[in-house]
Amino acid sequence: MANSDVWVVIPVFNEEQVIAGVVGDVQQVFPNVVCVDDGSRDRSAQRVAATGAHLVRHPVNMGQGAALQTGLSYALAREGGRYFVTFDADGQHRVEDALRMVELARQGGADAVLGSRFLDQPRKVPAAKRVVLRAVVALSPTARRLQLTDTHNGLRVLTRPVAEGLRITMNGMAHASEIVSQLAKARARVVEAPVTILYTEYSMSKGQSLINGVNILFDLSVRQRG
Amino acid sequence: MPMWIQLLLLAVIAIVLVMFVRRWYGVRMQAGKRIAFFAFLAANAWAVLRPDDVTWLANRMGVGRGADLVLYLLVAGFALATLNTYLRFRELDRRFTELSRTLAIREAELVNRERGLLQAPHEHPAVLPGSRLEQS
Repeated sequence: MANSDVWVVIPVFNEEQVIAGVVGDVQQVFPNVVCVDDGSRDRSAQRVAATGAHLVRHPVNMGQGAALQTGLSYALAREGGRYFVTFDADGQHRVEDALRMVELARQGGADAVLGSRFLDQPRKVPAAKRVVLRAVVALSPTARRLQLTDTHNGLRVLTRPVAEGLRITMNGMAHASEIVSQLAKARARVVEAPVTILYTEYSMSKGQSLINGVNILFDLSVRQRG
Repeated sequence: MPMWIQLLLLAVIAIVLVMFVRRWYGVRMQAGKRIAFFAFLAANAWAVLRPDDVTWLANRMGVGRGADLVLYLLVAGFALATLNTYLRFRELDRRFTELSRTLAIREAELVNRERGLLQAPHEHPAVLPGSRLEQS
Protein backbone atom coordinates (compact mmCIF):
# COMPACT_ATOMS: atom_id res chain seq x y z
CA MET A 1 0.00 0.00 0.00
CA ALA A 2 1.15 3.52 -0.76
CA ASN A 3 2.73 5.49 2.05
CA SER A 4 2.98 2.46 4.31
CA ASP A 5 6.42 3.76 5.31
CA VAL A 6 4.84 6.91 6.75
CA TRP A 7 3.59 7.31 10.32
CA VAL A 8 1.33 10.20 11.23
CA VAL A 9 1.46 11.25 14.89
CA ILE A 10 -1.56 13.17 16.18
CA PRO A 11 -1.55 14.51 19.75
CA VAL A 12 -5.15 14.63 20.98
CA PHE A 13 -6.53 16.61 23.88
CA ASN A 14 -10.29 17.08 24.24
CA GLU A 15 -11.09 16.85 20.53
CA GLU A 16 -14.06 14.47 20.56
CA GLN A 17 -16.00 16.61 18.08
CA VAL A 18 -13.50 16.48 15.27
CA ILE A 19 -10.90 13.78 15.88
CA ALA A 20 -12.70 10.93 14.11
CA GLY A 21 -13.12 13.10 11.01
CA VAL A 22 -9.49 14.20 11.04
CA VAL A 23 -8.25 10.60 11.40
CA GLY A 24 -10.58 9.53 8.60
CA ASP A 25 -9.18 12.18 6.26
CA VAL A 26 -5.58 11.33 7.12
CA GLN A 27 -6.12 7.60 6.64
CA GLN A 28 -7.37 8.16 3.11
CA VAL A 29 -3.73 8.84 2.29
CA PHE A 30 -1.62 7.56 5.16
CA PRO A 31 -2.62 4.13 6.55
CA ASN A 32 -0.44 4.38 9.67
CA VAL A 33 -1.80 6.85 12.19
CA VAL A 34 -1.09 6.97 15.91
CA CYS A 35 -3.24 9.21 18.10
CA VAL A 36 -1.88 10.06 21.53
CA ASP A 37 -4.73 10.88 23.84
CA ASP A 38 -3.19 13.24 26.36
CA GLY A 39 -5.53 12.54 29.24
CA SER A 40 -8.61 14.00 27.59
CA ARG A 41 -11.58 14.56 29.84
CA ASP A 42 -14.05 13.98 27.02
CA ARG A 43 -14.60 10.90 24.86
CA SER A 44 -11.70 11.55 22.47
CA ALA A 45 -10.12 8.16 23.21
CA GLN A 46 -13.34 6.29 22.42
CA ARG A 47 -13.69 8.24 19.17
CA VAL A 48 -10.16 7.25 18.18
CA ALA A 49 -10.80 3.64 19.17
CA ALA A 50 -13.67 3.55 16.68
CA THR A 51 -11.31 4.49 13.84
CA GLY A 52 -8.43 2.54 12.32
CA ALA A 53 -5.80 4.60 14.12
CA HIS A 54 -3.44 3.30 16.76
CA LEU A 55 -4.31 4.69 20.17
CA VAL A 56 -1.88 5.54 22.95
CA ARG A 57 -3.36 6.98 26.12
CA HIS A 58 -1.48 9.09 28.62
CA PRO A 59 -2.73 8.23 32.10
CA VAL A 60 -2.82 11.96 32.92
CA ASN A 61 -2.56 15.16 30.93
CA MET A 62 1.10 15.95 30.28
CA GLY A 63 1.04 18.51 27.48
CA GLN A 64 1.34 18.52 23.71
CA GLY A 65 5.12 18.20 23.65
CA ALA A 66 4.96 15.08 25.81
CA ALA A 67 2.22 13.64 23.60
CA LEU A 68 4.28 14.21 20.45
CA GLN A 69 7.31 12.47 21.94
CA THR A 70 5.13 9.55 23.05
CA GLY A 71 3.63 9.22 19.58
CA LEU A 72 7.05 9.38 17.94
CA SER A 73 8.45 6.78 20.34
CA TYR A 74 5.52 4.48 19.60
CA ALA A 75 5.81 4.95 15.84
CA LEU A 76 9.59 4.52 15.85
CA ALA A 77 9.18 1.18 17.63
CA ARG A 78 7.10 -0.12 14.71
CA GLU A 79 8.95 -1.67 11.81
CA GLY A 80 9.05 -0.11 8.37
CA GLY A 81 8.48 3.52 9.27
CA ARG A 82 10.77 5.87 7.38
CA TYR A 83 8.91 9.18 7.54
CA PHE A 84 7.18 10.60 10.58
CA VAL A 85 4.55 13.30 10.26
CA THR A 86 3.26 15.42 13.13
CA PHE A 87 -0.28 16.60 12.57
CA ASP A 88 -2.66 18.62 14.72
CA ALA A 89 -5.91 17.03 15.89
CA ASP A 90 -8.16 20.04 15.45
CA GLY A 91 -8.44 19.84 11.68
CA GLN A 92 -6.33 22.91 10.90
CA HIS A 93 -3.95 21.05 8.59
CA ARG A 94 -4.62 19.79 5.10
CA VAL A 95 -3.69 16.22 4.25
CA GLU A 96 -2.54 17.26 0.77
CA ASP A 97 0.03 19.58 2.38
CA ALA A 98 1.35 16.66 4.43
CA LEU A 99 1.50 14.49 1.32
CA ARG A 100 3.43 17.16 -0.57
CA MET A 101 5.88 17.49 2.32
CA VAL A 102 6.42 13.71 2.46
CA GLU A 103 7.15 13.71 -1.28
CA LEU A 104 9.64 16.51 -0.68
CA ALA A 105 11.37 14.42 2.00
CA ARG A 106 11.34 11.36 -0.30
CA GLN A 107 13.30 13.27 -2.91
CA GLY A 108 16.13 13.19 -0.39
CA GLY A 109 16.91 16.88 -0.23
CA ALA A 110 15.85 17.35 3.37
CA ASP A 111 15.98 15.51 6.69
CA ALA A 112 13.08 17.51 8.05
CA VAL A 113 10.32 19.43 6.27
CA LEU A 114 8.49 22.00 8.37
CA GLY A 115 5.19 23.54 7.42
CA SER A 116 5.00 27.32 7.28
CA ARG A 117 1.87 29.39 6.98
CA PHE A 118 3.91 32.48 6.11
CA LEU A 119 5.59 31.38 2.88
CA ASP A 120 2.35 31.73 0.94
CA GLN A 121 -0.41 34.21 1.63
CA PRO A 122 0.58 35.33 5.12
CA ARG A 123 -2.36 37.73 5.10
CA LYS A 124 -4.71 34.87 5.79
CA VAL A 125 -3.24 34.50 9.27
CA PRO A 126 -5.16 36.50 11.89
CA ALA A 127 -3.25 39.62 12.97
CA ALA A 128 -2.80 38.74 16.66
CA LYS A 129 -1.42 35.30 15.79
CA ARG A 130 0.90 36.82 13.23
CA VAL A 131 2.41 39.12 15.87
CA VAL A 132 2.93 36.33 18.41
CA LEU A 133 4.38 33.85 15.94
CA ARG A 134 6.65 36.44 14.33
CA ALA A 135 7.91 37.49 17.77
CA VAL A 136 8.75 33.89 18.71
CA VAL A 137 10.67 33.47 15.46
CA ALA A 138 12.48 36.78 15.91
CA LEU A 139 13.58 35.84 19.43
CA SER A 140 14.85 32.41 18.45
CA PRO A 141 18.49 32.39 17.27
CA THR A 142 18.15 28.96 15.66
CA ALA A 143 15.03 29.94 13.76
CA ARG A 144 16.91 32.90 12.36
CA ARG A 145 19.94 30.81 11.50
CA LEU A 146 17.85 28.21 9.69
CA GLN A 147 15.90 31.07 8.11
CA LEU A 148 12.59 29.71 9.28
CA THR A 149 9.45 31.77 9.05
CA ASP A 150 7.14 29.77 11.30
CA THR A 151 8.46 27.71 14.20
CA HIS A 152 5.10 26.94 15.77
CA ASN A 153 3.49 25.04 12.95
CA GLY A 154 2.20 21.61 13.98
CA LEU A 155 2.73 20.07 10.54
CA ARG A 156 6.20 18.54 10.16
CA VAL A 157 7.77 15.64 8.33
CA LEU A 158 10.81 14.00 9.91
CA THR A 159 12.97 11.26 8.47
CA ARG A 160 13.77 8.35 10.72
CA PRO A 161 17.31 9.36 11.76
CA VAL A 162 16.07 12.81 12.74
CA ALA A 163 13.02 11.47 14.57
CA GLU A 164 15.20 9.01 16.47
CA GLY A 165 17.47 11.81 17.58
CA LEU A 166 14.67 13.99 18.94
CA ARG A 167 14.21 14.24 22.70
CA ILE A 168 11.29 16.52 23.37
CA THR A 169 11.50 17.55 27.02
CA MET A 170 9.34 20.66 26.96
CA ASN A 171 5.97 19.17 27.76
CA GLY A 172 4.04 22.35 27.07
CA MET A 173 3.84 24.46 23.95
CA ALA A 174 7.54 25.41 23.89
CA HIS A 175 8.29 22.03 22.32
CA ALA A 176 7.96 23.56 18.86
CA SER A 177 11.00 25.79 19.39
CA GLU A 178 12.77 22.93 21.11
CA ILE A 179 12.30 20.69 18.07
CA VAL A 180 13.76 23.38 15.82
CA SER A 181 16.80 23.90 18.04
CA GLN A 182 17.45 20.16 18.24
CA LEU A 183 17.20 19.90 14.47
CA ALA A 184 19.73 22.70 14.21
CA LYS A 185 22.05 21.06 16.71
CA ALA A 186 21.86 17.74 14.87
CA ARG A 187 22.85 19.58 11.69
CA ALA A 188 19.76 18.24 9.96
CA ARG A 189 18.89 19.67 6.58
CA VAL A 190 15.71 21.57 7.33
CA VAL A 191 13.46 23.06 4.68
CA GLU A 192 10.15 24.81 4.99
CA ALA A 193 7.15 24.09 2.82
CA PRO A 194 4.17 26.40 2.43
CA VAL A 195 1.02 25.05 4.03
CA THR A 196 -2.47 26.41 4.40
CA ILE A 197 -3.95 26.55 7.85
CA LEU A 198 -7.70 26.13 7.95
CA TYR A 199 -8.72 28.69 10.54
CA THR A 200 -12.09 27.31 11.42
CA GLU A 201 -13.97 28.67 14.38
CA TYR A 202 -13.23 25.41 16.14
CA SER A 203 -9.47 25.53 15.64
CA MET A 204 -9.36 29.25 16.47
CA SER A 205 -10.87 28.58 19.86
CA LYS A 206 -8.04 26.14 20.59
CA GLY A 207 -4.99 27.68 18.98
CA GLN A 208 -2.19 29.70 20.43
CA SER A 209 -3.41 32.88 21.96
CA LEU A 210 -1.43 35.93 22.92
CA ILE A 211 -1.34 34.67 26.51
CA ASN A 212 0.14 31.42 25.31
CA GLY A 213 2.92 33.41 23.66
CA VAL A 214 3.98 34.62 27.09
CA ASN A 215 4.05 31.05 28.36
CA ILE A 216 6.14 29.91 25.43
CA LEU A 217 8.70 32.65 26.01
CA PHE A 218 8.89 31.81 29.72
CA ASP A 219 9.34 28.09 29.10
CA LEU A 220 12.08 28.74 26.59
CA SER A 221 13.95 31.12 28.87
CA VAL A 222 14.22 28.52 31.61
CA ARG A 223 14.87 25.43 29.53
CA GLN A 224 18.01 23.53 30.24
CA ARG A 225 20.87 24.55 28.05
CA GLY A 226 24.00 22.74 27.05
CA MET B 1 31.81 53.89 50.74
CA PRO B 2 29.93 51.30 48.68
CA MET B 3 26.80 49.84 50.14
CA TRP B 4 27.94 46.31 50.83
CA ILE B 5 24.36 45.17 51.27
CA GLN B 6 23.57 46.24 47.73
CA LEU B 7 26.48 44.23 46.37
CA LEU B 8 25.42 41.22 48.42
CA LEU B 9 21.79 41.34 47.30
CA LEU B 10 22.73 41.91 43.67
CA ALA B 11 25.08 38.93 43.91
CA VAL B 12 22.21 36.76 45.15
CA ILE B 13 20.01 37.91 42.27
CA ALA B 14 22.81 37.05 39.85
CA ILE B 15 23.15 33.58 41.37
CA VAL B 16 19.40 33.03 41.05
CA LEU B 17 19.52 34.06 37.40
CA VAL B 18 22.43 31.77 36.62
CA MET B 19 20.80 28.84 38.40
CA PHE B 20 17.59 29.57 36.52
CA VAL B 21 19.02 29.16 33.04
CA ARG B 22 21.69 26.55 33.75
CA ARG B 23 21.33 22.97 34.65
CA TRP B 24 23.24 23.35 37.81
CA TYR B 25 22.86 20.64 40.31
CA GLY B 26 24.81 17.58 41.25
CA VAL B 27 27.11 16.50 44.03
CA ARG B 28 28.96 19.80 44.34
CA MET B 29 25.73 21.78 44.33
CA GLN B 30 24.17 19.45 46.86
CA ALA B 31 27.14 19.85 49.22
CA GLY B 32 27.05 23.64 48.74
CA LYS B 33 23.42 23.77 49.71
CA ARG B 34 24.04 21.72 52.83
CA ILE B 35 26.95 23.87 53.94
CA ALA B 36 24.83 26.98 53.33
CA PHE B 37 22.06 25.49 55.42
CA PHE B 38 24.34 24.83 58.40
CA ALA B 39 25.88 28.28 58.08
CA PHE B 40 22.35 29.66 58.13
CA LEU B 41 21.59 27.76 61.36
CA ALA B 42 24.80 28.95 62.98
CA ALA B 43 24.07 32.55 62.01
CA ASN B 44 20.60 32.20 63.50
CA ALA B 45 21.99 30.94 66.81
CA TRP B 46 24.53 33.76 66.85
CA ALA B 47 21.87 36.38 66.15
CA VAL B 48 19.69 35.05 68.95
CA LEU B 49 22.51 35.02 71.46
CA ARG B 50 24.09 38.36 70.49
CA PRO B 51 21.56 40.60 68.69
CA ASP B 52 23.89 43.60 68.99
CA ASP B 53 26.36 41.88 66.69
CA VAL B 54 23.73 41.81 63.95
CA THR B 55 23.22 45.55 64.33
CA TRP B 56 26.98 46.07 64.21
CA LEU B 57 27.20 43.99 61.01
CA ALA B 58 24.24 45.85 59.53
CA ASN B 59 25.92 49.19 60.17
CA ARG B 60 29.13 47.97 58.59
CA MET B 61 27.13 46.96 55.49
CA GLY B 62 25.30 50.23 55.20
CA VAL B 63 21.98 49.06 56.65
CA GLY B 64 20.45 51.03 59.52
CA ARG B 65 19.13 48.31 61.77
CA GLY B 66 19.95 44.67 62.36
CA ALA B 67 16.31 43.74 61.79
CA ASP B 68 16.47 45.24 58.29
CA LEU B 69 19.56 43.21 57.46
CA VAL B 70 17.80 40.04 58.61
CA LEU B 71 14.80 40.91 56.43
CA TYR B 72 16.95 41.50 53.35
CA LEU B 73 18.76 38.23 53.82
CA LEU B 74 15.44 36.49 54.36
CA VAL B 75 14.19 37.78 51.01
CA ALA B 76 17.35 36.59 49.28
CA GLY B 77 17.14 33.22 51.01
CA PHE B 78 13.50 32.87 50.04
CA ALA B 79 14.31 33.51 46.39
CA LEU B 80 17.00 30.83 46.41
CA ALA B 81 14.74 28.34 48.19
CA THR B 82 11.91 28.97 45.74
CA LEU B 83 14.20 28.44 42.80
CA ASN B 84 15.56 25.28 44.32
CA THR B 85 12.03 23.94 44.71
CA TYR B 86 11.17 24.90 41.15
CA LEU B 87 14.17 23.04 39.74
CA ARG B 88 13.36 20.03 41.88
CA PHE B 89 9.78 19.99 40.63
CA ARG B 90 10.90 20.24 37.04
CA GLU B 91 13.19 17.27 37.45
CA LEU B 92 10.39 15.29 39.09
CA ASP B 93 8.11 16.25 36.22
CA ARG B 94 10.66 14.93 33.73
CA ARG B 95 10.88 11.59 35.50
CA PHE B 96 7.13 11.35 35.84
CA THR B 97 6.75 11.95 32.11
CA GLU B 98 9.25 9.18 31.30
CA LEU B 99 7.40 6.77 33.56
CA SER B 100 3.96 7.64 32.16
CA ARG B 101 5.22 7.39 28.59
CA THR B 102 6.69 3.94 29.15
CA LEU B 103 3.45 2.71 30.71
CA ALA B 104 1.28 4.34 28.03
CA ILE B 105 3.22 2.76 25.18
CA ARG B 106 3.28 -0.68 26.77
CA GLU B 107 -0.46 -0.53 27.40
CA ALA B 108 -1.09 0.78 23.88
CA GLU B 109 0.81 -2.10 22.30
CA LEU B 110 -1.47 -4.54 24.09
CA VAL B 111 -4.63 -2.62 23.24
CA ASN B 112 -3.76 -2.09 19.59
CA ARG B 113 -2.81 -5.75 19.26
CA GLU B 114 -6.27 -6.68 20.47
CA ARG B 115 -7.74 -4.25 17.97
CA GLY B 116 -5.90 -6.14 15.24
CA LEU B 117 -3.59 -3.27 14.31
CA LEU B 118 -0.38 -4.89 15.50
CA GLN B 119 1.12 -8.29 14.90
CA ALA B 120 1.74 -10.27 18.04
CA PRO B 121 5.41 -10.96 18.57
CA HIS B 122 6.11 -14.67 18.52
CA GLU B 123 7.35 -15.02 22.05
CA HIS B 124 4.13 -13.65 23.54
CA PRO B 125 0.60 -15.05 23.51
CA ALA B 126 -1.63 -13.32 20.95
CA VAL B 127 -3.96 -11.78 23.49
CA LEU B 128 -2.83 -10.64 26.90
CA PRO B 129 -5.41 -10.23 29.63
CA GLY B 130 -6.22 -7.06 31.52
CA SER B 131 -5.84 -4.52 28.76
CA ARG B 132 -9.23 -4.39 27.09
CA LEU B 133 -10.16 -0.88 26.00
CA GLU B 134 -13.62 0.22 26.97
CA GLN B 135 -15.59 0.77 23.79
CA SER B 136 -18.24 3.44 23.57
